[in-house]
Order: sequence, then C-alpha cells, then structure tokens
Amino acid sequence: MIARLAWKNIWRNRVRSSVILSAIALGLFSGTYIDSFMKGWIVDTVNSDINSHLSHVQIHDTAFLANNDINAFFLRSFVSEPIEAAGLAVSTAYRLILPGMLASANNAVGITVKGVVPGEEKAVSTIENQIPDTLGAFLPDDARMPIVISKKIAEKLKVKLKSKIVFTFQDAQGEMQSLAFRICGIYKTTNGMFDEGNVFVRYSDIFPSTGLPEGAVHEAGVRMADLETCETVAPPLKNLFSTLSVRDWGELNPALSMSMAWMDFFGIIIVGIFLLALSFGIINTMLMAILERTRELGMLSAIGMAKGRIFRMIMLETVFLTVLGSMAGIVLAALVILPSMKSGIDLSFLMEDQFEDYGFGSIIYPVLNAKMFVQMLVLVISAGILSALYPARKALKLKSLEAIRQ
Amino acid sequence: MTPIIETKNLYKIYTDQASEVRAVDDVSLRIAEGEFTAIVGPSGSGKTTLLNLIGGLDSPTSGSLYAGGKDISGLSEKEIIHFRLHHIGFVFQAYNLIPVLTAKENVSFVMELQGRKKEEIKRRAEELLQAVGLGDRMDSRPAKLSGGQQQRVAVARALASRPQFVLADEPTANLDSQSAENLLDIMEQLNRQEGITFIFSTHDPRIMAKAKRMITLEDGKIKSDVLK
Ligand SMILES: Nc1ncnc2c1ncn2[C@@H]1O[C@H](COP(=O)(O)OP(=O)(O)OP(=O)(O)O)[C@@H](O)[C@H]1O
Ligand SMILES: [Mg+2]
Repeated sequence: MIARLAWKNIWRNRVRSSVILSAIALGLFSGTYIDSFMKGWIVDTVNSDINSHLSHVQIHDTAFLANNDINAFFLRSFVSEPIEAAGLAVSTAYRLILPGMLASANNAVGITVKGVVPGEEKAVSTIENQIPDTLGAFLPDDARMPIVISKKIAEKLKVKLKSKIVFTFQDAQGEMQSLAFRICGIYKTTNGMFDEGNVFVRYSDIFPSTGLPEGAVHEAGVRMADLETCETVAPPLKNLFSTLSVRDWGELNPALSMSMAWMDFFGIIIVGIFLLALSFGIINTMLMAILERTRELGMLSAIGMAKGRIFRMIMLETVFLTVLGSMAGIVLAALVILPSMKSGIDLSFLMEDQFEDYGFGSIIYPVLNAKMFVQMLVLVISAGILSALYPARKALKLKSLEAIRQ
Repeated sequence: MTPIIETKNLYKIYTDQASEVRAVDDVSLRIAEGEFTAIVGPSGSGKTTLLNLIGGLDSPTSGSLYAGGKDISGLSEKEIIHFRLHHIGFVFQAYNLIPVLTAKENVSFVMELQGRKKEEIKRRAEELLQAVGLGDRMDSRPAKLSGGQQQRVAVARALASRPQFVLADEPTANLDSQSAENLLDIMEQLNRQEGITFIFSTHDPRIMAKAKRMITLEDGKIKSDVLK
C-alpha cells in the first residue's frame, strides 16, 4: 500500500522525475560505455602481446630463469602428458631457447634463438602473421635451415630475405657450435624489445647441435581459450608442476597487468564521480519533492501514518526512481554496447596511422561483463538509497502541526 | 455517562521574548459520546489550538487531557500517532486528501494503515462515500472534485477508521454557503443516525446554528457553553 502510494508519488511531477530518470539512465549508460570501451582497448593490447609472444602461460625450469642455462631444460613429455590429461590448455608450443651470437658478413648481434616446431608455434602465437607478405614466410617445410628474424635485426645485420647468417652458441657440454641459416622471413611485432632479441629456427634443425637429451626443451608456451579462462586455469596448472616455474601473462609482463589493473581503478573513479553527481541530483529532487508536500506529509502524520511509514514511503520513492533509471540505463547500454562488442568500434577515421604505429588496432571491441554490470547496478542503487536518507529524515522532522496550520 | 473527552485546567501558552499568548487559558470541559458540538469564537480566540490539543497534534503547557478515558498528554509521539490512527478522525480546512489517490483510495488509506481486511476496506469505503453522496465519484482524484466534494470525501475518510470522535477545524471555511450547509447536513445526519461524535470549529453563524452544543471561546477561555 505504501509502495503503491510511493509509486504514484513519483509521477506527480512528471518532468522532474523524467529528468532525474534520464540522468540516472544516461549516467549508468555512459559509465558502462566508457568502462567497456577502455576495457576493450586494454584487453586488445594485452591480447596482442599474448598472441605475438607472451602466450597465456609460460613454463620453464626454475634454474633456466636465473641464467638461461642451456642445461636447465625439461622433457617435453614431462609437461605435455599432464597438461593433456588434465585438459587444461588449448594448445602448447615447446621451444628450445638458446642465447648466442648472430652474425652476417657486416655485423654481429647478441640474440636468443627459439627452436620451435612450426605447426605448434602457429597454434600458439600469431608470429607467422607478423611477417608481411613481401617478407617471406614462417619456417616453410621445404626450406633448408630457415631462420625468421625481425626487421630490427635485419637492419642491424644489414641483411635481406635469403641472406645467409651464422648463429654461434655454447652447447650443453660448453663447446662452441656454429650453424648457418638462410633468412626465410622477416617479422615485426608491436613490441620493439621483443623484436630486438628474438629469432626463430626449426627445433629439428638446431636440436642436433645442442648436445641435449632427446625431447629436451626450455620453454612451453601455453595457450588457453581466452583471458578469462586463463585466470581460472593458471592456478591448477601451477599446482601440476611444482618443480617448474609456471607464470601467467601477468607475471610475464607485470607492466601489462598493471595497466589492466589501472584501467579497473580508472573505471571505479569514473563510476565514483558519476555516483557523486547522481547522489546530489537525487537529494535535490527528493528535497524538492518533500518541501512541496509539507502540508500533505503533515496531514498524513495527523491522520495516523507512523513516521516509519512516511520514511519508508520517501525511501521507496527514491528506490523506484533509481531502479527505474538504472533499468533504462541498462537497456540503453545493452542496445548500444552489445552489438558493438561483435562488430567493434572503428576508430580509424580518427587517426589510423598513429594507432598502428603504436601497435594498437584501430578497431576497438568493447568488453562488458555481467559482473561489472551487476556491480554498477548495486552501486547506483546503494547511492540512491544513501542519498534518499537525508531527504527522508528531513521529512520526519516536519512537524505535523506546523505543516497543517493554515 | 463517562465523557469521551475531558480536559481539566488545560493551558497552552506561547511565549515570545516580549509577550506571552494564552492561546488556551484554563479550559475544563467534558464532551460526551454522541455530541454534535461547535467551538466558536472570534479569530485568535484559540479554537484551532484547543482542537489541536484534543487531537494530540499539539501538547498542552499544563493541565490534563483525557480522550476515550485515556490520559493522552503523557503519550510519546509514536503512541500519539497510533492513538490518532485508531481513535480520532480529522477533517481539516484544506489539504485533507492525497492528490494522487482517488476518493475511494483516500478513504481506504487510513483503513489500510490500520491493517484492516481488504474486503472490509472496500465495502466500508464504498458505504461511506455513498453516505456522503459521492457514490458516483469514487474513482475521481481530488483535483477533479469540487471543494465541497473534497470535504465530503474528507468526512468519509475521517469516519473510515471507526474513530471515537471526529475533530473538524473550520471544515467549511473554504466552501460556498450551499456546500457548507450541505456538508454540515451530512455530518449532522451521521451524528444522528450513527451516533458519531463531532467537534467542529466555525465562524459561520449558519453552521453554528446546526450544532447541538456550542462552546464559545474568547482569549483562550470558555466564555459560554450552551446546550440546545
Ligand atoms: N505557534 C504559535 N506561536 C505563537 N502564537 C500562536 C501560535 N499558534 C497560535 N498562536 C496564537 O494563539 C492564539 C490562538 O490562535 P488560534 O489559531 O488557536 O486561534 P483561532 O481561534 O483558531 O483563530 P482563527 O479563527 O483565526 O482560526 C492566537 O493569538 C495566535 O496568534
Ligand atoms: Mg483556527
């Protein structure tokens, strides 16, 4: 009965109620929109690093991390069998990691060779896509002793596609080994640091020279369905290999996970500002609604409506406004954001070139999760209830006598 | 017969820095069940103040006040609101009705506050609105009703809670004389047929004439108390 009265009361001043409703709806919508847009952008950046070289999870021998010791290897089956049995990964790429010297006729640079199985590598990273069509391919089957280097390294060594270069490294017994490779592809990722230090050769080409036992690898790059799966799967994976170092992308690139956390924090600030503005709006609206009803509230108290019920009525009015506005905001957000999550928002009209230079895609796919929606909703409604308290208390202080005195 | 309202040496004194106003000055009176009493007197004589004291809307400076055999001067605010809900019906000069509710909903509202049964509420609201001659306007909102019709809804509302008595402070002040007489006739009829106790204040000689007992106030004191 009080709820029904409260509901009718909010439609007394249609204009005022509509204004505050729209404010809540638009605020919720734009807060959600900005947040999902920023999340989409950062997730895009994170994914691009994960795809090109990080993987979701990397596994190494603990000693290998300390000094890249060639002898700090593990056996491929030691990792692959438990992972497959547990069904934790979508695909895994196993690599030899060999630091050494890469030399051309003109120059020499210190780099790391990754000895990979091309099929595995393609399933885990997008490195093959980072090679422009004009600059070769990723370790084709028919090539002899192929090597893929980065554009940066190519420039330093002053070499081109098909040039021959020599890789020198120390094998497991400490002997120096030199192998000649022919450049079959030149890649470029968005990560300059990575480009400066990494080249790819076939596992089968380099393995015989390492002096390592059959099946030895230094690194496993594990790929999962997506970022969220990674969050839940990484911990059990760590438990699976207590003797190895298992690190997820966040641990592999703390700066990246930091910026993701920052985005979350930023989202909270935006929401906070919005909620603050919203609260003032609600307080103002409800105070106005109460002041213009002074006599009526006095009359209600005079005819026997308990203070608690009057308080409840005012609170309900506020809650109705807030919930209604929030629902409108959610519908609006769903209508606008959900379609753009698939199609993406094309920002290329803004500054296409710059985006690509900095390694960002020009199409942003907003990310909106139910959790964030629910959080927003809970926050907005709590803000509504909190800001209703003051006007509702104010209504209680009205003296019924003064309210009805002519 | 035990009085339904009894005041003994009731005072309400407003004090400013400079002056003091004895709005109600040593009023002792008894009102029995079934009375139809008018409180009259010039403007500022204390009619509203006295009615507000009796209705528990205001508290006396001193003196005792029994309503329904209960000393209500010592009740807490919560208790007094509860007392008003169950024992007193009010008709004010204006702003009686909740504008967003229909006539029937307005009458039902107090009964809902009392927690009465749905069917009873519906039946009684309709009955009362019929009784005040608004059987055909039950679903109209106050804004669609004339001043006189609104006051009749207020009378129906005041009776809805089955109060021990009804207090009406100048219920006809905003009405033309035709509607005013009409309202009083309805009140008088309810008094006669159902034995409802009415205490109302007025300025209007023609309204006073309808009262069975007339208490005249002057400067907060009872100047005369005539039974007709
Ligand atoms: N809140 C108040 N503070 C100070 N004085 C007051 C207050 N309320 C009433 N008074 C004074 O008490 C006296 C009685 O006022 P009251 O309203 O009861 O008169 P009334 O008989 O109802 O007058 P009217 O016929 O004009 O309605 C008046 O002198 C008035 O000025
Ligand atoms: Mg008065």
